[in-house]
Amino acid sequence: MNPRDPGQDPAIQTAGLIKKYRLADRPALTGLDLTIGRGEFFGLLGPNGAGKTTILSILCGLRAPDGGTVRILGMEYRRQQRRIQERIGIVPQEIALYDQLTARENLIIFGRLLGLGGGRLKERTGYCLEIAQLHERADHRVASFSGGMKRRLNLVIGLLNAPSILFLDEPTVGIDTQSRHLIHRQLQGLHAQGTTLLYTTHYMEEAQELCSTIAILDEGRILRQGPPARLLQESACHSLEELFLGLTGKQIRDI
Amino acid sequence: MQKILSTTAKELLLLVRDRAGLLVLFIMPAILVIVITLVQENILALSGQRQTEVLLLDQDGGVFASTLLSSLRQMKISVHSPEQGEDLQRLIADGRYQAGIIIPAGVSRRLQQEMASRLAAGDHAIDGTPDTASLSILFDPGAMAGFRAGILSRLQMAARAAEIEMLAQELGHSLQARLGRLNPGAPSPLQADDSLKQTFSHSFTTITEQPTTTGTATISDIINPVNQNVPAWALFGMFFTAIPIAGTILAERRSGIAVRLAGIPVSPLQLLGGKITAYLCVCLCQFLLIVLIGIVLFPHLGLQAFTLPENPMVLLPLICACSLAACGFGTFLGSVCHSYEQASTLGSTMVVIAAALGGVMVPVYAMPQMMQRLSILSPLNWGVNAFLDLLVRGKDFLAIGHDLARLLTFFAVMVILSWKRSSR
Repeated sequence: MNPRDPGQDPAIQTAGLIKKYRLADRPALTGLDLTIGRGEFFGLLGPNGAGKTTILSILCGLRAPDGGTVRILGMEYRRQQRRIQERIGIVPQEIALYDQLTARENLIIFGRLLGLGGGRLKERTGYCLEIAQLHERADHRVASFSGGMKRRLNLVIGLLNAPSILFLDEPTVGIDTQSRHLIHRQLQGLHAQGTTLLYTTHYMEEAQELCSTIAILDEGRILRQGPPARLLQESACHSLEELFLGLTGKQIRDI
Repeated sequence: MQKILSTTAKELLLLVRDRAGLLVLFIMPAILVIVITLVQENILALSGQRQTEVLLLDQDGGVFASTLLSSLRQMKISVHSPEQGEDLQRLIADGRYQAGIIIPAGVSRRLQQEMASRLAAGDHAIDGTPDTASLSILFDPGAMAGFRAGILSRLQMAARAAEIEMLAQELGHSLQARLGRLNPGAPSPLQADDSLKQTFSHSFTTITEQPTTTGTATISDIINPVNQNVPAWALFGMFFTAIPIAGTILAERRSGIAVRLAGIPVSPLQLLGGKITAYLCVCLCQFLLIVLIGIVLFPHLGLQAFTLPENPMVLLPLICACSLAACGFGTFLGSVCHSYEQASTLGSTMVVIAAALGGVMVPVYAMPQMMQRLSILSPLNWGVNAFLDLLVRGKDFLAIGHDLARLLTFFAVMVILSWKRSSR
């Protein structure tokens, strides 16, 4: 592999990643090494406080690590932040939308901020409305949408720039079955097109169904990593939930 | 540039759809400027610059009372008498009138006797000051000290004028009597007309208010509550834009939009620039609305019209500087507060304090020394001062340079602090 050719680098690569918050008793990440290949559908599982959000925010460039390195598509945030940001999409856990604007206006505003314009913006807006199945409600204010519609719109805004890597932080929390099913289908479609997806969730069946690779994380380090079927086979567990509870314990984590 | 314009368009769209926000930004300062200017018009009345109404109970019915009455009327005091059966004390105590004057019975007669006896005494002066014309005045307990002082001083002047007129009359009689004794049967030189009385009652000294000039501008015509209130309250309204700005920042942070924005290739300064550009437009519209109210509506309410400077464009840099200072404060508020409730409470309290200190509500010269020294810290003081320099004191653009610099520095410091805080 030629390290100078960014086309050959893994989608995401971290080495010795350390993060400690000022008032925390222990570090959120303790020397995390993670490699996610291009086109992988990578599920990050962990109890509350395991460090999932910290990893995600470091990988998205929202936080700087205290130690270690991060390379996204072979590039580093320190040097090529803008180029990285042009090639990633973020779907936050919260419904990150302007409630008083319509679905189309939300897409247009985020599209313009992403640098899209003219025909390209129109095309991407149309595509996003179509895959979110929001064409008929495109000119209605988001405030009037159901939870599922908002989640779908929240997801497709992350796709406006046709990202090579899509970071999703629990994108199906609290929505109806139909919307969840639609989101699953769209994510599988993106995976099939070669998009790399990094996905955090608390739903084990969802991770098992969607992800090509999963990592179980606790106390800032990875406990297990691999394809779901292999992990189950190695651990002799019947379900991912059994494996997860076996690794992270049954004690409730309130942080 | 496209990213800044997109943010600006988004902010304006959000604002247009936020009716409560629009109400705060446009209707509130419009109502404030109308109400405050009308109220201040009435305060001028209380301080003697406009017609004042007082109650007068004339138990004398003589020359002193009639002369006093006419002098008071000349001094823009509208005098009313209590209706039959009405008690002056009660009318004042109830607050229906703020002042009541009682002229006791026999004042004119006693004054005439006293003057005649003093004139008759000639060189043998009478010692002491006899209490011949003791008037009573009653004030509504709620009347302000300035109003009391104004009425008292005008009553003293009117009483003195009435005394002089009576004295002139008595002197005429006295001279006539003395001349008659010296040359019985000769016609009196004072009998034919009232020239002596007129001479005494005439004031030889006149006080004329000179127009104050600065350079080529004459500014006496434009000193009125309208020209002082319009920019001051427009500025107050402009600083209230800090609350919706802080609100949008907090809403973006709370909803996760800030996370989404942080992950896309747009710099925080571009986002902030777009937001500030939108609210700069809002502030300009606010100022335009208040000025239009001053020019168009005020004359219909019996107030003077707002007077723009010869070149109104000279105001533009100042309005922009004030708007930027307000926007800067809003971004700072948005970066330090944790909720909209916190931002609105803290923001409105700080703006009201800054407005009070800055001379929006009470002129700085009317404040105690310590407050005058503190007022220099208020950005609203810099703004009000610069507006008064341009609109009332007739100064030119160069004269407001230091105030402009202060406003722009305040903006820069606020933006840097909020940027630093957001980056943490």
